Formats: sequence, C-alpha cells, structure tokens
Amino acid sequence: MFDKLINKSAMKSPWIFHINAGSCNGCDIEIVAVMTTLYDAERFGFKIVGSPRHADIVVVSGPVTLQSRDRLIRTLAQVPEPKCVVSVGSCPQSGNVFKGSYALDGPLEKYVHVDVAVAGCAAKPEAIMEGLYKAAQILEEKRRKIRVAAGRKLSAEAVPEADTASDIGTDIKDTDVKDTEEKDNEGKEAADV
Amino acid sequence: MIFPYLETAIKNLTKKPLTEAFPCPEDMGAERYRGRISYDPEVCVDCGMCAKVCGPSAITREEEEAEGGVNITRTFDLTSCTFCGFCQDFCSRNAITLTRDYHMVAEDASELCTKGTFFKKKVLGKLICYLDNCLFCGLCMRNCPEKAITVDRAARTWSVDHSKCVKCGLCISKCPKNVLEFQQQSEEGVIFSDSCIYCTLCAKKCPVGAITVDRQNKTWDIDRSSCMRCGVCVAGCPKKALSMGPLE
Repeated sequence: MFDKLINKSAMKSPWIFHINAGSCNGCDIEIVAVMTTLYDAERFGFKIVGSPRHADIVVVSGPVTLQSRDRLIRTLAQVPEPKCVVSVGSCPQSGNVFKGSYALDGPLEKYVHVDVAVAGCAAKPEAIMEGLYKAAQILEEKRRKIRVAAGRKLSAEAVPEADTASDIGTDIKDTDVKDTEEKDNEGKEAADV
Repeated sequence: MIFPYLETAIKNLTKKPLTEAFPCPEDMGAERYRGRISYDPEVCVDCGMCAKVCGPSAITREEEEAEGGVNITRTFDLTSCTFCGFCQDFCSRNAITLTRDYHMVAEDASELCTKGTFFKKKVLGKLICYLDNCLFCGLCMRNCPEKAITVDRAARTWSVDHSKCVKCGLCISKCPKNVLEFQQQSEEGVIFSDSCIYCTLCAKKCPVGAITVDRQNKTWDIDRSSCMRCGVCVAGCPKKALSMGPLE
C-alpha cells in the first residue's frame, strides 16, 4: 500500500557517502561545493550522510592508496544494495600523475564496478552534478529491476536464483588476497629503502 | 535596537537567488578554462613533444601500416589527464587546444578520450648508389623503364638522371650487391642563414637533439635524418635566422 509512496520518496532522495581514497582533496572540495547553495545539489534530494549504511550513492575520489585500500573495501561493503558508485576526477580512473607509484594499488575499477566516471582535475562542480544526476537515474533503474524481479517472485513464476543477482548488478569484486599481500610487502621494502 | 544587516536583508528579498540552474545554462567554462582536449591531426607533424611533457603520460601514439606510408593515431586519455595545458603550450603547430568544455561525464570510461589519426607519407628521396661496392654490372640500367640510369663498365661510372627517375624501385630489386637505395629525406627542412648569433637556443629546444651549435668556433650543424621538421627551432630563434623550406 505504501509502496508507491516509498518508491517515490526513494527516487527523490538519493543519499551520498563520500570516500576519500587518498585524494589530494581538490575533488573533495568540489564535491562539498556541489552541496552548497551556489550549485545546490540538495534541491534534488542529494545529501551527504555520515554513515555508509545510510547511503545510496558512493562518491569516491583519489587514487586508491595502499593505506586506504582496506578501508575502502570495507566501507564499500557496508553500503547496501542497490548502490551506485561514482568516481570523481581522473585519480580513481588511472592514478593521474601518481601512475605506477609504490603507494598506489590499482584503479577503482579493480575493487568495484564504477557506474559513472566524472573526468577532470579537479572535476568542475557542474560536471559532478551531472554525474550525480546520471547516478540517480542508474540507481532508479536498478531499483526498478529489483521491484520487477520481486514482483515476478510473488506472482509465483519460475525465476532461477541467478536471474535476480544479475538484475541487481554491482557487487564487490573478489580481489586476490595473495596479490594484495605481495603489494603490501613491496610497499614495506620500498619504505625501508 | 540596531539591526546590522536590515538593509541588505530587505534588498535581497527582491533579488533573484544566486543558485545556478541545472542543467547549467552556460555550457562552457570561464574564459581560458582548461577543459576537454581537442586535437587537429591534420596540422600535427608527429614531433612527440606533447607526449614528452605530459606528466601523467596521458598521450599515446599508435602506428598502422598503410599503402604508401603509415597511419598515426594519437590518443589523449582524459581519464589520466591533469589538464595542465603543457601539451598545448609545447605543441609547435598549435594542433592541441584545451577547450572550455567541462562536460566530461560518462558511464563508460573509454568514451573519455580524444583521438586523431593522420596519414604520414613515406617520402622517397633521391636514388643513390654506394659506389664502393658497386660492380658496374649495368643490371639497374637495363631494368630501368625510364632509362634514367647510365652505367659505364669500363670507365666504372654510375649516374642517374633524377628528372627521369619515377622511384619505381625496380633497379633496387635487381641489384645483386644491394648498393642502391632511396635517400630517406623529405624535401623540406630547416634552412640556416647568416643572421645567426650562435646563442644555442635552437639546439636546446630541439626535441630530438638534431642541432649542434659550437659557440666558440661559430658553427651550426643539423642532422637531417633525425630532424622531424617540427619547427620548434624556427619559432624559437631570437634572430629569425632559421626557416623551414625546400632543401637543395
């Protein structure tokens, strides 16, 4: 009965959690600026929340540094499905000037499927707003798929388990534990030198 | 009672809000904003300066063999770019511009790149013979369809009439000693003039180090085979002593 109201409210309030994976803070400043009154993303319902468990959209900035990598994975796992991952700036995509550094561990794509990529160094607030808008649309699409899948289940149609999983989409990728340990040791050796 | 901002408050009641509309009505960034890269492959001379100065190594070059030359593709990866503008500053032909476009949002990150392809002709230079190893057998003369080559076995002379030569390459394929080849030289190059003051700026600017200048002995020399005809030396000469033009 309240479904329509809940769905409409969810569509109109995509909450954001921002993760800084070793960023220089240039993009972080622009992300926070998007929420201020000049660019005003809050009029569309976007809100930066304090807990990843409350968020719908995850905004990640910064190249994934060794120090932030484990925290990034843990935080991303705490964000409930359906979620949308937005990478802001060129750092999460490729590492930008820090490419090949001993302190970096791969682009963000290695850990989670990135739904929207906003390029720039730092990305302009208007561009970030566009990215958030796109993310909200993708999120709505994901929610719709879940509703459809749930509806099919209720109507007792034969729906194999695999179908619903693919409908939902994103999931944290299984990173090879051996690889990450090797990278850790490399980092320690470099630091010793 | 004193209300410090009363005047401002009442004035702002009648003003419009400062919030930017979404989508932003101004499609572009401010003047001199460094946004999406635009590349004009037709003007590019493939000097490679942009790739050399790029900090994040966002510029890559790919070659593909084609008839009569190579197809060179230059890719500017916007997901690596830091938009510093060095490539624009160092490009000697102004083939690269950082436009005011800031809309770089994509679901598929491979869309965020600028590519350009141009065709580089393999210009064949003049036909030359390495006379030290030549047998003066005359096979090249007999096979030349234009009768451009003259070989005298007794007198041990070899000459070619460049106006008749069509650069077909038959003589090269028939030569038993492989002493014939086309000089790898294009007709244009850097021309030196007397107004040079030997300041060595051109030698410093050259991206491949083709120019050698000796200040004490007042000599200027260029390695024509490594010169890329990029024009940086011509543009940088304070006395306008260098120019790009036809050689010989």
